[in-house]
Amino acid sequence: MAESSSTDPAATASGNGAPAGKRDLDRAFEALYREHLRDVYSYCYYRIGNHHDAEDVTEQTFLQAYRHFERAQRESDGRPLRPWLIRIAHNLAANYHRDRSRRPTAALDNVEPVEHPHGTERIVEGRERMREVMSGLDRLSDDRREALIMRFSLGMSNREIARALGRSDGATKVLIHRAIKQLEEELQAAGASDE
Amino acid sequence: MSEPRFESEDLERMLADALRPIEPPERLGSRVESTLSMLTGAAANELSWWADELSETELQALRDPRNWVRPVAAAAVGGVAGTALVLIEVRRRRRGEGLRGFADGIRRAIG
Repeated sequence: MAESSSTDPAATASGNGAPAGKRDLDRAFEALYREHLRDVYSYCYYRIGNHHDAEDVTEQTFLQAYRHFERAQRESDGRPLRPWLIRIAHNLAANYHRDRSRRPTAALDNVEPVEHPHGTERIVEGRERMREVMSGLDRLSDDRREALIMRFSLGMSNREIARALGRSDGATKVLIHRAIKQLEEELQAAGASDE
Repeated sequence: MSEPRFESEDLERMLADALRPIEPPERLGSRVESTLSMLTGAAANELSWWADELSETELQALRDPRNWVRPVAAAAVGGVAGTALVLIEVRRRRRGEGLRGFADGIRRAIG
Protein backbone atom coordinates (compact mmCIF):
# COMPACT_ATOMS: atom_id res chain seq x y z
CA MET A 1 0.00 0.00 0.00
CA ALA A 2 1.21 3.45 -0.83
CA GLU A 3 2.49 5.64 1.93
CA SER A 4 3.08 8.88 0.08
CA SER A 5 1.98 12.06 1.79
CA SER A 6 -1.26 13.67 0.69
CA THR A 7 0.29 17.10 1.28
CA ASP A 8 3.00 16.58 -1.28
CA PRO A 9 2.08 18.53 -4.44
CA ALA A 10 4.40 16.29 -6.41
CA ALA A 11 2.13 13.40 -5.57
CA THR A 12 -0.82 15.00 -7.34
CA ALA A 13 -1.94 12.71 -10.11
CA SER A 14 -2.98 13.86 -13.51
CA GLY A 15 -6.14 11.71 -13.39
CA ASN A 16 -8.89 13.17 -11.20
CA GLY A 17 -6.65 15.74 -9.56
CA ALA A 18 -6.56 13.98 -6.18
CA PRO A 19 -3.13 13.13 -4.84
CA ALA A 20 -1.98 9.67 -5.84
CA GLY A 21 -1.19 8.80 -2.23
CA LYS A 22 -4.68 9.81 -1.15
CA ARG A 23 -6.30 7.71 -3.85
CA ASP A 24 -4.23 4.71 -2.85
CA LEU A 25 -5.17 5.32 0.75
CA ASP A 26 -8.87 5.42 -0.08
CA ARG A 27 -8.60 2.27 -2.13
CA ALA A 28 -6.89 0.56 0.77
CA PHE A 29 -9.60 1.76 3.13
CA GLU A 30 -12.28 0.50 0.78
CA ALA A 31 -10.60 -2.92 0.79
CA LEU A 32 -10.40 -2.88 4.56
CA TYR A 33 -14.07 -1.96 4.80
CA ARG A 34 -15.19 -4.70 2.43
CA GLU A 35 -13.02 -7.32 4.06
CA HIS A 36 -13.96 -6.61 7.66
CA LEU A 37 -17.49 -5.18 7.70
CA ARG A 38 -18.89 -8.54 8.74
CA ASP A 39 -16.24 -8.97 11.44
CA VAL A 40 -16.90 -5.55 12.92
CA TYR A 41 -20.66 -5.96 12.70
CA SER A 42 -20.58 -9.43 14.26
CA TYR A 43 -18.39 -8.23 17.09
CA CYS A 44 -20.63 -5.22 17.71
CA TYR A 45 -23.76 -7.33 17.59
CA TYR A 46 -22.49 -9.83 20.15
CA ARG A 47 -21.22 -7.00 22.36
CA ILE A 48 -24.33 -4.83 22.08
CA GLY A 49 -27.08 -7.40 21.65
CA ASN A 50 -29.35 -5.67 19.16
CA HIS A 51 -29.07 -4.86 15.48
CA HIS A 52 -29.99 -1.20 15.72
CA ASP A 53 -27.25 -0.16 18.12
CA ALA A 54 -24.79 -2.61 16.58
CA GLU A 55 -25.22 -0.73 13.31
CA ASP A 56 -24.52 2.57 15.05
CA VAL A 57 -21.35 1.28 16.65
CA THR A 58 -20.22 -0.38 13.41
CA GLU A 59 -20.68 2.88 11.55
CA GLN A 60 -18.76 4.81 14.19
CA THR A 61 -16.00 2.23 14.08
CA PHE A 62 -15.38 2.77 10.37
CA LEU A 63 -15.57 6.54 10.71
CA GLN A 64 -12.99 6.47 13.48
CA ALA A 65 -10.90 4.10 11.39
CA TYR A 66 -11.08 6.43 8.40
CA ARG A 67 -9.83 9.33 10.50
CA HIS A 68 -6.75 7.47 11.62
CA PHE A 69 -6.26 5.10 8.72
CA GLU A 70 -3.19 6.75 7.25
CA ARG A 71 -1.33 6.66 10.55
CA ALA A 72 -2.48 3.12 11.29
CA GLN A 73 -1.17 1.94 7.95
CA ARG A 74 2.12 3.71 8.49
CA GLU A 75 2.59 2.24 11.95
CA SER A 76 1.26 -1.25 11.24
CA ASP A 77 4.52 -2.16 9.52
CA GLY A 78 2.68 -4.52 7.22
CA ARG A 79 0.77 -6.34 9.97
CA PRO A 80 -2.96 -6.97 9.48
CA LEU A 81 -5.19 -4.12 10.56
CA ARG A 82 -8.09 -6.26 11.78
CA PRO A 83 -6.99 -6.17 15.44
CA TRP A 84 -6.79 -2.37 15.24
CA LEU A 85 -10.27 -2.22 13.75
CA ILE A 86 -11.70 -4.55 16.38
CA ARG A 87 -9.97 -2.56 19.10
CA ILE A 88 -11.80 0.55 17.90
CA ALA A 89 -15.09 -1.38 17.97
CA HIS A 90 -14.17 -2.75 21.40
CA ASN A 91 -13.61 0.75 22.81
CA LEU A 92 -16.76 2.15 21.23
CA ALA A 93 -18.83 -0.74 22.55
CA ALA A 94 -17.39 -0.10 26.02
CA ASN A 95 -18.36 3.57 25.68
CA TYR A 96 -21.83 2.51 24.59
CA HIS A 97 -22.36 0.44 27.72
CA ARG A 98 -20.81 3.06 29.96
CA ASP A 99 -22.97 5.82 28.52
CA ARG A 100 -26.12 3.80 28.91
CA SER A 101 -25.12 2.05 32.11
CA ARG A 102 -26.04 -1.23 30.51
CA ARG A 103 -24.33 -4.51 31.02
CA PRO A 104 -23.48 -6.26 27.78
CA THR A 105 -24.27 -9.57 29.41
CA ALA A 106 -27.96 -8.68 29.66
CA ALA A 107 -28.08 -8.22 25.91
CA LEU A 108 -26.47 -11.53 25.01
CA ASP A 109 -29.39 -13.42 26.48
CA ASN A 110 -31.61 -11.73 23.94
CA VAL A 111 -29.45 -12.60 20.97
CA GLU A 112 -31.53 -14.61 18.56
CA PRO A 113 -29.94 -17.94 17.68
CA VAL A 114 -28.88 -18.06 14.06
CA GLU A 115 -30.87 -20.33 11.77
CA HIS A 116 -29.59 -23.87 11.45
CA PRO A 117 -29.95 -26.08 8.41
CA HIS A 118 -30.96 -29.11 10.47
CA GLY A 119 -34.10 -31.15 11.08
CA THR A 120 -36.80 -29.99 13.51
CA GLU A 121 -35.66 -32.14 16.42
CA ARG A 122 -32.09 -31.04 16.04
CA ILE A 123 -33.19 -27.43 15.75
CA VAL A 124 -35.00 -27.58 19.09
CA GLU A 125 -32.08 -29.32 20.74
CA GLY A 126 -29.62 -26.99 19.09
CA ARG A 127 -31.47 -23.86 20.10
CA GLU A 128 -31.72 -25.04 23.70
CA ARG A 129 -28.03 -25.78 23.83
CA MET A 130 -27.23 -22.48 22.21
CA ARG A 131 -29.27 -20.61 24.79
CA GLU A 132 -27.37 -22.42 27.51
CA VAL A 133 -24.10 -21.41 25.90
CA MET A 134 -25.29 -17.80 25.66
CA SER A 135 -26.35 -17.83 29.30
CA GLY A 136 -22.94 -19.24 30.21
CA LEU A 137 -21.26 -16.49 28.24
CA ASP A 138 -23.36 -13.96 30.12
CA ARG A 139 -21.87 -15.07 33.37
CA LEU A 140 -18.29 -14.59 32.21
CA SER A 141 -16.39 -11.41 32.98
CA ASP A 142 -16.35 -8.85 30.19
CA ASP A 143 -12.77 -9.52 29.10
CA ARG A 144 -13.28 -13.29 28.97
CA ARG A 145 -16.48 -12.95 26.99
CA GLU A 146 -14.91 -10.46 24.57
CA ALA A 147 -11.97 -12.78 23.98
CA LEU A 148 -14.33 -15.65 23.18
CA ILE A 149 -16.34 -13.51 20.77
CA MET A 150 -13.13 -12.57 18.96
CA ARG A 151 -11.99 -16.19 18.85
CA PHE A 152 -15.19 -17.97 17.92
CA SER A 153 -17.17 -15.38 15.99
CA LEU A 154 -14.31 -13.69 14.17
CA GLY A 155 -11.83 -16.56 14.15
CA MET A 156 -9.02 -14.37 15.45
CA SER A 157 -5.73 -15.89 16.52
CA ASN A 158 -4.34 -15.45 20.03
CA ARG A 159 -1.92 -12.86 18.68
CA GLU A 160 -4.68 -10.88 16.97
CA ILE A 161 -6.81 -10.97 20.13
CA ALA A 162 -3.82 -9.86 22.18
CA ARG A 163 -3.34 -6.85 19.92
CA ALA A 164 -7.05 -6.00 19.98
CA LEU A 165 -7.22 -6.18 23.76
CA GLY A 166 -3.83 -4.56 24.36
CA ARG A 167 -2.47 -7.57 26.23
CA SER A 168 0.54 -9.80 25.85
CA ASP A 169 0.26 -13.03 23.87
CA GLY A 170 0.79 -15.05 27.04
CA ALA A 171 -1.83 -13.19 29.04
CA THR A 172 -4.30 -13.62 26.19
CA LYS A 173 -3.68 -17.35 25.99
CA VAL A 174 -4.35 -17.65 29.72
CA LEU A 175 -7.46 -15.43 29.41
CA ILE A 176 -8.97 -17.64 26.71
CA HIS A 177 -8.07 -20.85 28.50
CA ARG A 178 -9.72 -19.65 31.71
CA ALA A 179 -12.75 -18.39 29.82
CA ILE A 180 -13.32 -21.77 28.20
CA LYS A 181 -12.68 -23.57 31.48
CA GLN A 182 -15.17 -21.39 33.35
CA LEU A 183 -17.76 -21.73 30.63
CA GLU A 184 -17.34 -25.49 30.65
CA GLU A 185 -17.89 -25.54 34.41
CA GLU A 186 -20.91 -23.25 34.10
CA LEU A 187 -22.50 -25.52 31.52
CA GLN A 188 -21.73 -28.66 33.48
CA ALA A 189 -23.29 -27.09 36.57
CA ALA A 190 -26.35 -25.98 34.61
CA GLY A 191 -26.70 -29.49 33.21
CA ALA A 192 -26.40 -31.10 36.62
CA SER A 193 -29.02 -28.80 38.14
CA ASP A 194 -31.49 -29.69 35.38
CA GLU A 195 -31.29 -33.41 36.12
CA MET B 1 -22.67 -40.06 38.63
CA SER B 2 -24.54 -38.72 35.62
CA GLU B 3 -22.93 -38.12 32.26
CA PRO B 4 -21.93 -34.49 31.71
CA ARG B 5 -24.23 -32.79 29.19
CA PHE B 6 -21.41 -30.80 27.68
CA GLU B 7 -18.36 -32.72 26.62
CA SER B 8 -15.18 -30.69 26.62
CA GLU B 9 -14.47 -31.47 23.01
CA ASP B 10 -17.91 -30.19 22.01
CA LEU B 11 -17.64 -26.88 23.75
CA GLU B 12 -15.54 -25.12 21.14
CA ARG B 13 -17.83 -26.35 18.38
CA MET B 14 -20.85 -25.14 20.34
CA LEU B 15 -19.22 -21.76 20.87
CA ALA B 16 -18.50 -21.44 17.18
CA ASP B 17 -22.11 -22.36 16.52
CA ALA B 18 -23.54 -19.93 19.07
CA LEU B 19 -21.27 -17.09 18.00
CA ARG B 20 -21.38 -17.59 14.27
CA PRO B 21 -20.71 -14.43 12.25
CA ILE B 22 -23.66 -12.15 11.58
CA GLU B 23 -24.19 -10.75 8.11
CA PRO B 24 -24.58 -6.97 8.27
CA PRO B 25 -27.91 -5.61 7.03
CA GLU B 26 -27.80 -4.07 3.57
CA ARG B 27 -29.02 -0.74 4.92
CA LEU B 28 -25.80 -0.37 6.90
CA GLY B 29 -23.87 0.46 3.74
CA SER B 30 -26.27 3.30 2.98
CA ARG B 31 -25.93 4.63 6.50
CA VAL B 32 -22.16 4.70 6.32
CA GLU B 33 -22.40 6.36 2.91
CA SER B 34 -24.71 9.03 4.28
CA THR B 35 -22.51 9.80 7.26
CA LEU B 36 -19.38 9.99 5.16
CA SER B 37 -21.17 12.38 2.84
CA MET B 38 -21.92 14.53 5.87
CA LEU B 39 -18.22 14.59 6.60
CA THR B 40 -17.67 15.75 3.05
CA GLY B 41 -19.79 18.77 3.86
CA ALA B 42 -17.69 19.50 6.92
CA ALA B 43 -14.57 19.24 4.82
CA ALA B 44 -16.05 21.57 2.20
CA ASN B 45 -16.30 24.27 4.84
CA GLU B 46 -12.64 23.81 5.47
CA LEU B 47 -11.91 24.50 1.81
CA SER B 48 -12.57 28.20 2.17
CA TRP B 49 -10.12 28.30 5.03
CA TRP B 50 -7.06 27.33 3.11
CA ALA B 51 -8.15 27.51 -0.51
CA ASP B 52 -5.90 30.47 -1.15
CA GLU B 53 -2.97 28.24 -0.32
CA LEU B 54 -3.79 25.76 -3.06
CA SER B 55 -2.41 25.80 -6.55
CA GLU B 56 -4.79 26.56 -9.42
CA THR B 57 -4.64 22.93 -10.54
CA GLU B 58 -5.63 21.67 -7.11
CA LEU B 59 -8.46 24.18 -6.88
CA GLN B 60 -9.86 23.12 -10.24
CA ALA B 61 -9.79 19.50 -9.15
CA LEU B 62 -11.42 20.21 -5.83
CA ARG B 63 -14.25 22.25 -7.37
CA ASP B 64 -15.42 19.11 -9.11
CA PRO B 65 -17.74 17.25 -6.70
CA ARG B 66 -16.75 14.00 -8.33
CA ASN B 67 -13.41 14.39 -6.67
CA TRP B 68 -15.00 14.70 -3.25
CA VAL B 69 -17.36 11.82 -3.19
CA ARG B 70 -16.52 8.72 -5.15
CA PRO B 71 -19.38 6.27 -5.23
CA VAL B 72 -18.32 2.71 -5.05
CA ALA B 73 -20.59 0.17 -6.63
CA ALA B 74 -22.54 -2.04 -4.33
CA ALA B 75 -20.16 -4.65 -3.08
CA ALA B 76 -21.06 -8.14 -2.09
CA VAL B 77 -20.02 -8.60 1.49
CA GLY B 78 -19.59 -12.11 2.74
CA GLY B 79 -21.23 -13.39 -0.40
CA VAL B 80 -24.69 -12.47 0.82
CA ALA B 81 -25.22 -8.92 1.87
CA GLY B 82 -24.72 -6.26 -0.72
CA THR B 83 -23.63 -2.91 0.48
CA ALA B 84 -22.17 0.29 -0.80
CA LEU B 85 -19.52 2.57 0.49
CA VAL B 86 -18.78 6.09 -0.51
CA LEU B 87 -15.19 6.92 -0.01
CA ILE B 88 -14.71 10.56 0.61
CA GLU B 89 -11.87 12.36 -1.02
CA VAL B 90 -11.25 14.83 1.76
CA ARG B 91 -8.05 16.74 1.40
CA ARG B 92 -6.43 16.96 4.77
CA ARG B 93 -3.65 19.28 5.63
CA ARG B 94 -1.84 18.72 8.83
CA ARG B 95 -1.58 22.26 9.91
CA GLY B 96 -3.00 24.55 12.57
CA GLU B 97 -6.67 25.28 12.83
CA GLY B 98 -7.54 23.61 9.58
CA LEU B 99 -6.94 20.16 10.90
CA ARG B 100 -8.47 20.92 14.27
CA GLY B 101 -11.56 22.34 12.62
CA PHE B 102 -11.87 19.28 10.44
CA ALA B 103 -11.49 17.02 13.46
CA ASP B 104 -14.20 18.99 15.24
CA GLY B 105 -16.45 18.51 12.24
CA ILE B 106 -15.91 14.79 12.40
CA ARG B 107 -16.58 14.73 16.13
CA ARG B 108 -19.83 16.62 15.62
CA ALA B 109 -20.85 14.30 12.85
CA ILE B 110 -20.21 11.13 14.77
CA GLY B 111 -20.85 12.57 18.21
